[in-house]
Amino acid sequence: MTYTILGRCQRTGRVGIGIATFSITVGRYCWGVKSNVGVTVSQAFANERNNALALRLLTQGFTARAVLQQLMDNDPYAEYRQIGVIDRTGMAVAHTGPKTRGWSGHVVGENYVAFGNGLMGPEIADAIAKGFLAEPESDLEHRLLMGIEAGRDAGGQGTRERPKTERSAALRVYSTDTFADIDLRVDLHETAVDELRRVWSYFKPYEPYYRHRERNPRGAMGQEEFMKTLQAAE
Amino acid sequence: MTFSIIARCPHTGRLGLGIATFSIGSGGRCEGIQAGVGICKTQAFTNRGNDPLAIELMAQGHTPAHVMKMLEQNDPDHAYRQIAIIDRDGNGIGHSGSGTRPWSGHHVGKGYVAFGNVLAGPQVLEGICAGFEKDPDTLLEFRILAALEGGRNSGGQVGADGHLTERSAAIRVVADPDYPDIDVRVDLHDDAIVELRRVLEEFKRYEVFYRDRGRDPSTAITQDEFVRRLEGRA
Repeated sequence: MTYTILGRCQRTGRVGIGIATFSITVGRYCWGVKSNVGVTVSQAFANERNNALALRLLTQGFTARAVLQQLMDNDPYAEYRQIGVIDRTGMAVAHTGPKTRGWSGHVVGENYVAFGNGLMGPEIADAIAKGFLAEPESDLEHRLLMGIEAGRDAGGQGTRERPKTERSAALRVYSTDTFADIDLRVDLHETAVDELRRVWSYFKPYEPYYRHRERNPRGAMGQEEFMKTLQAAE
Repeated sequence: MTFSIIARCPHTGRLGLGIATFSIGSGGRCEGIQAGVGICKTQAFTNRGNDPLAIELMAQGHTPAHVMKMLEQNDPDHAYRQIAIIDRDGNGIGHSGSGTRPWSGHHVGKGYVAFGNVLAGPQVLEGICAGFEKDPDTLLEFRILAALEGGRNSGGQVGADGHLTERSAAIRVVADPDYPDIDVRVDLHDDAIVELRRVLEEFKRYEVFYRDRGRDPSTAITQDEFVRRLEGRA
């Protein structure tokens, strides 16, 4: 039981993951994203090697479709896996194995994959896609967060009789660097999507400060001083 | 303002990194760890490009000492960085640039490097080392957690306006090149090391279940059932 949005920004080529689930520490499974290469997540009964393999194949130049086919050919339990892949051109593909549990499925379009398992129904995947597509001009991290929030608001995981909360969530975006542009996580919480929004809102004004002091350490203000400027601006 | 440890388990060769800091989302800036290769962590006025670059260089066969030299040649602001590197054999080196904020320093021990800046004083570094050395036969993730707790209990971070709490913390341990063994994070919390212990201890209860259901989904019980069994045992 997990719901996820993989996205690529049409304007900038940035790629990223938004994910929420009942399982704990889901960010641990979100290493399948790389600048100028693409993004992938394997979930449901996740094959722990898929993400690394898919990134290597994408790096070598295979299309998203070819990568997905290779992952399935490589795995005796492919019917238990749910996999999404987007390559650097924006080609997006997904696989939802018939043996994943609960309502399980995906919605795929150019530059995005909305997918999940153990969900209330198809309306959840539709809502995630709609949330992601709502503001195409916004920053990718914002769009990914809108996607998973829409999935939560539509009912999220479980059944109508037995809904399931999100205990962990993560948001990761890569741009052109060898390191993550945005990388935020909630590993164990009663309402992890709410908490991820709180962390993101809190982090957002710090992000340009952190970036600036890294690139221009000479004369950079201390974090205590920076926080006073934040407070003064409020 | 950060205190960290990078280490190699002498029994298993697993590599691990622990970090705690006043800054938010610090676990999102810890890309430099690769099984079978080594670890590099840059902090203070960090250079985000350093860690992925250092991993590439170690993978090519360069020693930590040589990697450190190349990082210096590559960065006009090297004096503002604090950097620790160890290789897969546990050979370590540290650099605490003259431009990092006091108290700043590092200690290269057997199979590990402890380092921090904007600390209460050298006793914090001693606390990290003592925490790590306390129980050398336990799992690396718990040795790293004990190191962070040792640093916190010895005074932690002290900035311009006095003591600074840990608002984020993270531990990553790798054994396999394709996925992390342990990857737990707290991105925004009033007492992040306390919360990190809670998350790690909870994850350890799920660790084998999560691993095995991915490796052989055909025999996996549901997470609902697993949680019921956990609670029944508690």
